Amino acid sequence: MNKNEIFKLAKGFRGRAKNCIKIARERVEKALQYSYRDRRNKKRDMRALWIPRINAGTCQHGVNYGNFMHGLMKENIQLNRKVLSELSMHEPYSFKALVNISRNAFPGNKNVVLPTRKVDVSLNV
Amino acid sequence: MASSSSTLALCSSFSAQCKVSHHQNPLTFPSKSSISLFKPNSLKLASPPILFTKPAFSPVPKVSESESALIEAEFDERAPEPAQVVTATKEDLKREDIYAVVMVGSRQYIVFPGRYIYTQRLKGANVDDKIVLNKVLLVGTKTTTYIGKPIVTNAVVHAVVEEQGLDPKVVVFKYKKKKNYRRNIGHRQPNTRIRIIGITGYQDYPVTTLDS
Repeated sequence: MNKNEIFKLAKGFRGRAKNCIKIARERVEKALQYSYRDRRNKKRDMRALWIPRINAGTCQHGVNYGNFMHGLMKENIQLNRKVLSELSMHEPYSFKALVNISRNAFPGNKNVVLPTRKVDVSLNV
Repeated sequence: MASSSSTLALCSSFSAQCKVSHHQNPLTFPSKSSISLFKPNSLKLASPPILFTKPAFSPVPKVSESESALIEAEFDERAPEPAQVVTATKEDLKREDIYAVVMVGSRQYIVFPGRYIYTQRLKGANVDDKIVLNKVLLVGTKTTTYIGKPIVTNAVVHAVVEEQGLDPKVVVFKYKKKKNYRRNIGHRQPNTRIRIIGITGYQDYPVTTLDS
């Protein structure tokens, strides 16, 4: 790339990295490497954004994310997490219908035995 | 709101393909060719009316979708901007209160009649072709929801191909240090812009109605 293209890509960089070609070239190459890597990371990050959003939406109705998704899989509903997170934000009634369907399909694991808590009797020193 | 705006900034650079045009909201996000990504729509949940009303009725606005934010925007627009009330009410009447989740090109989109979306390039389609999208996963109206298992049978989304274009250029730069290896490639992914006309055929499907 010639210098003008480098400087165009180096807009907003800190210090001499936006003005001096030797430094700008290094920084721009690094930026392009990061963008290559991050185009792949973006997909992971977005999923990591959608899942807690869905979790928040379902917990409002008393179902957690794991049981909700299990119920949906059982009912063969193939909405993906992106759409589910959007529905949970903007279509609350449709989302509640989905939660109800999931709850009917998979009511949750009621046989979980929680470990007993040891009551700590500590002496006041 | 800082966190939400930062996540939105992250998400805003997403998905050329999953853009859904929004009548009220003219904010345009830079499009990147990534798979099935999209912008969670509500910027600044605290102040949607202010954001949405200003650019109000630009001809082909494209931004993230949200039906309820849209409804909010409608109500709020009439108060702060009386000058645009007439155009507002006309446009409201045109839009139907229905949405669908459709799967195109192995990506799912939330679709509203009258707006457009970018999908992967449809090979056989020419401009101004009527297209029928069959894989409808969910249809929602104001009072009812039809949830497909996996698809809503006989539901169909009608659309028109508007444009067969390319995504904005992405620079693919590969570099290995100390090994004298660098490759600089530009890439523009072909896409198709589709305008949604209508959603039909869902009426006979068993309904999930909430009492609201």
